[in-house]
Amino acid sequence: MILYDFEYERPQTLAEAAGLLAELGPGARIMAGGTDLLPNMRVAIAQPTTIVGLSAITPEAPRVDADGAFRIDALTRLATLTDSEFVRQRLPMLAEAARVVGSNQIREMGTLGGNLCQDTRCLQLNQKHDFQFVAPCYKRGGACCYPFPQNKPNICWSVYMSDVAPALIALGASLECVDQSGARRISVEDLFTGGGLRPLNLKGGEIIQAIVVPPPPSYFGWGYHKSTRRGGLEFAIAVAAATIRLAPDNVHCAEARIAIGAVRERPVRALAAERGLVGKVPDAAAIAAAVATAVVEVSPLPHHDFTKSFIVDSLRVHLRRVLSRAVERARGEIPTA
Amino acid sequence: MSELNYIGKSPRRKDGPDKVTGRAVYSQDIKLPGTLIGRILRSPHAHARIVRLDLSKALALPGVKAVITVDDTKGIKHGFVETPRYPPDQEVLARGRVVYVGEEIAAVAAIDHLIAQQALELIEIEYEILPAVFDPIEAMKSDAPQIHPSHPKVKDELPYSNIGGRTTAGWGDVETGFAQSDYVREDRFESQLRTHGYLEPHATIAHWENDRLNVWTSSMGTSVKRAKLAKTLDLPFSAVRVHKVYVGGTFGGKIDLYSHEYCAARLSMMTRRPVRIVANREAIFSAYRHGQPLAMEIKTGVKKDGTIVAQQIRVINNSGGYRGSGVVVIFLAWGFTMIPYRIPNLKFEGLSVYTNYPVRAPQRGHGCPQIRFAIESQLDKIAEDLGIDPVSIRLRNAREPWEQLPNGDNVHEAGLIDCIKMAAEKSDFLKKYGKGRKTDGTIRRGIGMGVSGYFGGSLIYPNGSGVIVKMNDDGTPTVLTGGIDVGQGSETIISQIVAEELGVGIDDVKIISSDTDATPQDIGAWISGMTYVTGNAARQAAGNARQKMLDIAALRFNIDVRNLAIKDKVVFNRNDPSQRISYRDIIAYSIATRRGDTIIGEGFWRTMRDEPTHPSLATTKGRWSENYAFSCQVAEVEVDIETGEARLVKALTVHDCGFPINPALVKGQVDGQVSMALGHAFLEEVTTKNGYTLNPTWLDYRMPTIHEMAESDDADVITEQYNVGKPYRTKEVGEGLVSAILAAIGNAICDATGVRLTSTPFTPEKILKGVRKLARESKH
Amino acid sequence: MADRNHNSKSMSRVVAIEVNGEHHEVTVKPRHMLVEVLREKIGLTGTKEGCEQGVCGACTVLLDGRPILACITLAVECDGKKIRTVEGLASGETLSAIQEAFLDQGAMQCGFCTSGMLMSATALLEKNPKPSLAEIKKALEGNLCRCTGYNGIVDAIRQASGEGVDPIFMR
Repeated sequence: MILYDFEYERPQTLAEAAGLLAELGPGARIMAGGTDLLPNMRVAIAQPTTIVGLSAITPEAPRVDADGAFRIDALTRLATLTDSEFVRQRLPMLAEAARVVGSNQIREMGTLGGNLCQDTRCLQLNQKHDFQFVAPCYKRGGACCYPFPQNKPNICWSVYMSDVAPALIALGASLECVDQSGARRISVEDLFTGGGLRPLNLKGGEIIQAIVVPPPPSYFGWGYHKSTRRGGLEFAIAVAAATIRLAPDNVHCAEARIAIGAVRERPVRALAAERGLVGKVPDAAAIAAAVATAVVEVSPLPHHDFTKSFIVDSLRVHLRRVLSRAVERARGEIPTA
Repeated sequence: MSELNYIGKSPRRKDGPDKVTGRAVYSQDIKLPGTLIGRILRSPHAHARIVRLDLSKALALPGVKAVITVDDTKGIKHGFVETPRYPPDQEVLARGRVVYVGEEIAAVAAIDHLIAQQALELIEIEYEILPAVFDPIEAMKSDAPQIHPSHPKVKDELPYSNIGGRTTAGWGDVETGFAQSDYVREDRFESQLRTHGYLEPHATIAHWENDRLNVWTSSMGTSVKRAKLAKTLDLPFSAVRVHKVYVGGTFGGKIDLYSHEYCAARLSMMTRRPVRIVANREAIFSAYRHGQPLAMEIKTGVKKDGTIVAQQIRVINNSGGYRGSGVVVIFLAWGFTMIPYRIPNLKFEGLSVYTNYPVRAPQRGHGCPQIRFAIESQLDKIAEDLGIDPVSIRLRNAREPWEQLPNGDNVHEAGLIDCIKMAAEKSDFLKKYGKGRKTDGTIRRGIGMGVSGYFGGSLIYPNGSGVIVKMNDDGTPTVLTGGIDVGQGSETIISQIVAEELGVGIDDVKIISSDTDATPQDIGAWISGMTYVTGNAARQAAGNARQKMLDIAALRFNIDVRNLAIKDKVVFNRNDPSQRISYRDIIAYSIATRRGDTIIGEGFWRTMRDEPTHPSLATTKGRWSENYAFSCQVAEVEVDIETGEARLVKALTVHDCGFPINPALVKGQVDGQVSMALGHAFLEEVTTKNGYTLNPTWLDYRMPTIHEMAESDDADVITEQYNVGKPYRTKEVGEGLVSAILAAIGNAICDATGVRLTSTPFTPEKILKGVRKLARESKH
Repeated sequence: MADRNHNSKSMSRVVAIEVNGEHHEVTVKPRHMLVEVLREKIGLTGTKEGCEQGVCGACTVLLDGRPILACITLAVECDGKKIRTVEGLASGETLSAIQEAFLDQGAMQCGFCTSGMLMSATALLEKNPKPSLAEIKKALEGNLCRCTGYNGIVDAIRQASGEGVDPIFMR
């Protein structure tokens, strides 16, 4: 239970919500499904004075815009993404990423926008502090770091665990954000600061309104894997998401996007690994080389009791398999959806 | 033998309808007017002196009704074990010093949660931090921080610090045995810190009213809870009533007295209002009692045909800040060593070592999973080295029916050999074994076997169970039993037995259970004796009531009682069936004419009738149990050798339970234990650093989800039978079946990959490391 | 870090929720979770609290037909909504097919996870009357059980979906 009193507003539109945030100031937080905010409030990581709940706002259905891009309302529930034929057929990677989030109940409650805005996590952070880790750490506004005691005050290595963000980055997606002053478009990658203290680049009072995914080109394939100890329910050891676009000869790689999640304070693009694939035939050797490059440049943080070397071992195998699947799909050897 | 109506069949659970409709009332569901909320102040340090404690600001907060520390108690200690050698050693609240993170220091009662929490934050407390120690080997060193003085009986013999207790046992001469062996090997095994994971959090509501204490609490036995509460509160037992509630899972973690139970009671006595304390899940994972991590050093000598000649074992328990059940697990590790196989020469030593961790409790199997994992893994390795298959080596060593055990017990109709044979046959073991390592591809499949033994219903307070069967005017029985249903189905089993003995329908049986005012004492649901001990008491009570009704009918018809038979609640003359009288009419007749004598049957049962008490925990001398259960389990696993990810695919459990009273309930116990074993094997570990728990949540303490579910088959080896009116012997199935399957999983992984793991859990890191080492070695 | 004032009190408000077809108006503060309202204010204790963290699933109820976690759902968000709890599954004395199947297959032992399991299973079968094993696992991955190993629970869902699984308990 949450052991302090806060206020609650329930606007009918996103514009009204943005207005409330502007009026109430930094003590107010928006809430979609609440699956990240409320547990964090219970352990006093977040302590807003007012919650602006968005549950009265009905999300638009996923659709294709005039320019062929896919538009997904940020308030779309994760369960809708996994159930929707539209998403499964047209954006199968997104459906797959949504499918592995949390549990069935979490997917029925949580939204796409909310999933992207989740706070970073760490074992010592995400528990009650009645008698353990009582002195606040840097992320809680205090003066220490428990898992990495040698870290200086502006360094927080809590990890960003969203399963969906790496998939969206691999798809080249962008976000439409609104606040009282207007709207802006940023790439999903630019949502993240790369720092654990303040993981998101949103301005005060800014709300994600929609996720826009460019139409997949020809000769396009994807691969996605969330590694976990159990078959579901948990956060990841690492998330590997990759898209491959082959050249019109259907042999050489024209474009590669590799995004690794749940290993750092933000999802990480393996840019050098991507560059290494472009222009090459993405065979086993090329993929192996890309993977070797990727695990070094991504440089996973140890997190949630997983050592760095274990995460690297896991990524080596799963990223290789993910890239192979992406190539197979791009070649049309296996179905895309 | 006449046909049985209920025994051996699977009638639906008595408590089933309540549980599927939400009607079942657990401790957290009890509502009493005026209830105050209790919260506990816990130590943030692993080892510290309490230098200053000031409650005044907390007491002054409006809405706070009481605040207590150890000074508000009678200073009476309690312990899981309370014997002359191991007297109670823990106060209900810390006195002057805390010895683990989360240790209880104070408790408040307030009108709501917010105020209770604020009150805790207003308690001013200063600590002097003391050096702490977490590893038992470190804690044993002479310069280690002293948590408690070593046990007086041990201190003079061994130069170790922090010894809570020691068990030594043996027979024969191991040195000669090893000298005579063809093959000797020594291995060290470790089993990790795990926890029970019951879905229902500890919850207690206590109400002091009219000079009596009413308690509703999640427990494994109301008799024990009453005893400990009464003792620590310095109340007569009769002033404490522990009420019946449904219990949401226990597995050993809800037996002895918990501080919050005492605090709820004491706070209620001070405020005269009901006080409710519900433990939050983080506190359960970090400060409540977990199972025992064991380090086990095993040296075994065998003949070249695999027959065990000698075994030397040392077990070290990381027992936490107080004695807890640590001194029991080291005794039990000896017990579970010597039950299944003949060991002509044995030398055993167990040490329970204090560390700055929360106190430990038994966890399903209480040492058996750990020690069988160790022994069975080593035995498989011995078999492999000697070129013997895993089935043969076990058959060679397995105890046979009616063998005398070295401690003076007898295994009676031990079905172990049949269990091994049946398990090998049903799983097609020898066809599958040895194939895994030869396959290509990244997924390897392996098969492994384990053997275990367990005991049922040994002596521990209150040693025996009583049951009362009252006949109602309508001819149906009401059964009063202290037996508590924690999910295992005791109410159903007792109903079946009473229905069978009395010749009534199972729906006719009403059960009133686990209420210390209304029901007789019971040994509790934690000593693997519910079916055997409480069940036999129920049988006796029902038989007693039946006999009284037959006597009345004999009187009524003026015939010899031996000519009477019973069918469908009617007593009739065998020689003239028209002479008949229903139960209802017998009772009416008794009330009307036999001075209104009630028809109440009484039953009592305990094991080890000729023994005054349980064996010595320290020396193992004394007979232990008349009831030994045996099992052989086979595991089939799949391992991805690229990632080290492994899972249990299939489990087969063949057990000698005597005979199943309710086969479907037995299946449920098997499935649940297979699940617990796979959690132990692959997933579960309470991870700590400097005494702090890193993963005190369901997300990070990885209990199996439905995804991890394995196929689970079971089969019984029948070695006993049920005859109406006669004592029966069933053997336990609720705890012993975690062990052999755990061992089997380890052996199966070795079969699949060639990697022999000596510590649980079998994580992907460990498997990968082993696979890589083998790959390197095979290159040379 | 946002401000938190120990002494600030928020306004109570009245929330109208329909639970198992019955209309209720309850006075709540924003911090009250749905599980508290169901258990304490409305008095339906069938929904259990196993963790307060939104992980174990013991508090699963149906909100407008969707299985959700009542321990991390604010009561104020449920204004005007229809909620179904385990107490609403039976029609009078007649148990639902899934409840009967749970009894037939030994899908509960201690019973503490059972309410949540039944609600997740009910939601699954209403959406997908013939689920595959993979679909069953996905639908119930957020409901932890320590007693049964899940085998009986899977068999109960298969029985209720008409897969021809025989009961192991006799009626």
